[in-house]
Amino acid sequence: MKTEPGPPSRSADLRYALHRFRQNPLIIAGSVISIGTILIAIFANVIVNPKLGRSTDLDLRLCWNNPALNWHITNVFNCGGTVYPLGTDTYGRSVLSMIILAIPLDLQIALEVVISAVVIGVFFGAIAAYAGGVIDEVILRITDIFLAVPAILLAIVLLVILGRSFSILTFAIVITWWPTYVRLIRSQVLGEKEKPYVEGLRAMGAGRVRILFRHVVPNSIYPVFVQATLDIGSVILTVSALTFLGFSPSPLIPELGNLANAGSTYIFTAPWLIIFSGVTILVISLGFNLLGDGIRDVFDPRLRR
Amino acid sequence: MVAMSQGLDQDVLVVKDLRVVFHTYAGEVKALDGVDLTVRRKEVLGLVGESGSGKSVTALTIEGLLPQNGEVVSGQIILAGNDLLKESSADLRISRVTDMAMVFQDPTTYLNPVLTVGSQITEIIESEAKLFTKQVIADRLIELDRLEGEGRITPVLEKERAKLKSLSSGAKISKREFKRLSRLYAINILRQVRLPEPERIFKDYPFELSGGMKQRAMIAMALVRRPKLFLADEITTALDVTVQAQILKLLTELREQIDTSVILITHDLAIVAEVCDRVAVMYAGNIVEVADVNELFRNPLHPYTKGLLASIPRPDLKEQEMKSIRGSVPNLIFPPSGCRFHPRCDFAFERCPLEKPKLLEVSKGHFVACFLYEGGQA
Amino acid sequence: MVLVLFLLSLLIFYLTRGLLPASSAISQYITPKMNSIAKLQLAQSLGVATKSCPNFTAFSDSQAGCVVPLWGQYVGWLHNVLTGNWGYTLLPGISGTETTLTVFFQRFPLTAELAIAGAGLTILIGIPLGIVSATHNNKLPDHLSRIVSLGGYSIPQFWFGAMLQILLVLYIRVGGLGLFPANGAFATICAICIPNPGTATAYTGAPLFDGILSGNPAYTWDALVALALPAITLAITSIGALTRIVRSSMVDALKQDYILLARSKGLRGRVVIYRHALRNALLPAVTIAGLLAAFLLGGAIVIEIVFTWPGVGSASLAAANSLDINFLELYVLVTALIIVLTNLVVDILYAKLDPRIRY
Repeated sequence: MKTEPGPPSRSADLRYALHRFRQNPLIIAGSVISIGTILIAIFANVIVNPKLGRSTDLDLRLCWNNPALNWHITNVFNCGGTVYPLGTDTYGRSVLSMIILAIPLDLQIALEVVISAVVIGVFFGAIAAYAGGVIDEVILRITDIFLAVPAILLAIVLLVILGRSFSILTFAIVITWWPTYVRLIRSQVLGEKEKPYVEGLRAMGAGRVRILFRHVVPNSIYPVFVQATLDIGSVILTVSALTFLGFSPSPLIPELGNLANAGSTYIFTAPWLIIFSGVTILVISLGFNLLGDGIRDVFDPRLRR
Repeated sequence: MVAMSQGLDQDVLVVKDLRVVFHTYAGEVKALDGVDLTVRRKEVLGLVGESGSGKSVTALTIEGLLPQNGEVVSGQIILAGNDLLKESSADLRISRVTDMAMVFQDPTTYLNPVLTVGSQITEIIESEAKLFTKQVIADRLIELDRLEGEGRITPVLEKERAKLKSLSSGAKISKREFKRLSRLYAINILRQVRLPEPERIFKDYPFELSGGMKQRAMIAMALVRRPKLFLADEITTALDVTVQAQILKLLTELREQIDTSVILITHDLAIVAEVCDRVAVMYAGNIVEVADVNELFRNPLHPYTKGLLASIPRPDLKEQEMKSIRGSVPNLIFPPSGCRFHPRCDFAFERCPLEKPKLLEVSKGHFVACFLYEGGQA
Repeated sequence: MVLVLFLLSLLIFYLTRGLLPASSAISQYITPKMNSIAKLQLAQSLGVATKSCPNFTAFSDSQAGCVVPLWGQYVGWLHNVLTGNWGYTLLPGISGTETTLTVFFQRFPLTAELAIAGAGLTILIGIPLGIVSATHNNKLPDHLSRIVSLGGYSIPQFWFGAMLQILLVLYIRVGGLGLFPANGAFATICAICIPNPGTATAYTGAPLFDGILSGNPAYTWDALVALALPAITLAITSIGALTRIVRSSMVDALKQDYILLARSKGLRGRVVIYRHALRNALLPAVTIAGLLAAFLLGGAIVIEIVFTWPGVGSASLAAANSLDINFLELYVLVTALIIVLTNLVVDILYAKLDPRIRY
């Protein structure tokens, strides 16, 4: 099987990657869903009037009049008038509109969390691995503390103490998430720093910080990138779990977990609220997970040929 | 199992017109393009060629262990009268236990790191207990007889010997007893491959052994089956030169002790000269020349063989340019037409790109695949 | 390990006492009948106000000399705790006369039952699914199990629990009763429940184990039926994660050279997969066991809310909302202890499985 004459060229690499890209249904599906989500997030305020989020019409609360789906539940309240494709919520607002308005909020929080966690985690993890010794031990012990507690629990405590705003929510999740990246980048850097090119750079007189952040980290970043993409999905799950437990600033705010929380009380009488908000969360997180998996499959250097 | 009566009784292996293709993203790699090979009883056949010539592929095809994208397009592989390519996978698996054994190049990666060396031997015995029962009992009896000869036999051992004698005549053997005997048998094999302290090595893990010791352990795993055919794929390439010599010496000793044939795959002509009886030269998926080892070195016929021998550096002749064969190994997705060597051959003529030369016997036991010798000339 | 727990308790203490004014620490315990002196005594007995504090107003204004410094509060708390005094808890529905320890350990077995069931399902489904996926790489079983594992990994647990409830309690009904019970850790009213299961001695406090140990099959069945939906919901995400890891490390292992040698020895396919490949493939999978434990214990909180499971997770939510420090600290520390122990066991297991590691 050693019949390739010479090493493959850069452009052949890229072409091969694109070829596998096209061949992999996972990454196609994942990209479609993720890009779709992002587009909806960007144009949400155009598609749906944001004022709808604040207008309530209690006469229409929890009604369903979409003929396409029959819930077979006695006493389903019929909305009359315009058809609400996904019914209305506890404030009489269209569930579909609320979901669309909720997507940019959740996505924004997720991106903020992931980016912050990556930056902090990579910073400390790279230093820990490269410096070694006491610094490494201290940073490791600190991550041990955070990893010994379930993330949700720590976030709950922080939210109760510091208040129920979305910034605190973001902060709470970042606090629980950054240790993972510390561990990830640390093991990568530990392997990377033994490589000959690092020694060569030292011999040329390059400073340690410079070597670390301009050479070693970029070479170690690939698994972090994959994990970050996957984590967007996981963070959305965590955010919605926390708001589901009641930790959002106000029950009125269109946010996916919030909607599900409201729906949980009416699960047997008006199931559409919790069902459709939950499905949205599922689809978004599935999209980013597929994308992350697909990226890993396509660009994994060990899977050549 | 389809028994074939072709070939002499002396031939352990007959490979006829074997064609193997690999399906890859870059295209179809025509790795073996009509390989013909015979291996006689108790002989060591050297299979030489450069990297990529198809030597390992041939061995893997014989064992039936091609990767998923490999396909045998046509041909026959007749081992001890059975065409391996027509066997069911269950029968083929049994053949791997009883008829053939392969030893690979790098003992570090080919031994399972989380299992003890000994268990990687006994698992073979225990996987097909029925096939090994006789052997295992007989081996222990021989051992006990030897101890008696040395005057070291005790009443306990006497009892054991009596019991074993009754077992070997058909009584049933318990699982525990079988495990014990397998263990002793395996330790004996480890001793036969010249490993010091075989009892200790039995319990060791591969990472605790040196390269040479691991390679001997791998050979032991082959030896335990008493195969008719031994496939040695570059078994000394990963070892130091001194260890290389030891392993080769071991190989020749073993060949004397048990009735087995060896295909020794290597790119090192010096090894071939040391150890082999006959040599087959392979180039780009074809056998191009086969001869007795002395004959080949004295009188190479194929231009490729000549080039190979000429390119060996000779420290005794001063101030010589290093000779090499011009050109490079061909791309087997788009191989040269006709004789695959013709683009690099100094003696090529009009016929060479048009037809593929067949392997023909030019003098007794000396086969060449080259039009220079096919009743015509340059 | 002890260091980690110690630092963790410090962290939680700081978060719960250090970031808010001192008066909030006692606000939950103040009843309308208390006068100013009683309130001050309460604050002092909780170790928040100093003995030399003149009156309650001075304390609630956080005047100097009136509030015990945080370190002092912590030491006081630590002393109490180490002598077994975890104080009284004020969870909703409890009159304030139950000690924290009592309430916690009443509810803990139920969470343990849930978590153990979740862990069991994860291992029993995740590992075989991963193996099948790897051995039938890129064929139908692989695609199916990848859908299951990726789907499971992406599912919001509260939604999945809700869906199970909607499907199996609301829609699939037999004789007017839902197939499964909707809530609680023990149910006698559902289509497949046994109405009069008798009793079982409370050996462990968890219905399932009590039923088994008491030899009462009807009781055990009812406990099992109530456990089914919550356990599956809890496990679904970790099944997804475990399957993925097992699959990828099996695929890696199967590509290794020693597999080729094993096959060339004529070993049967099953031996090659389980003895040679799986032994190596399980090593990376074992390392995430600690993470899985953390995930299961954290996820239990949500599950307990969705299924009204009377365990310690749902109680901790109430405790967080009412700033019940003793309960919170106990909960966090017990959880952390379990996770740290799991990691320890995993490390030992790993060293046993991989002979290359010697301590």
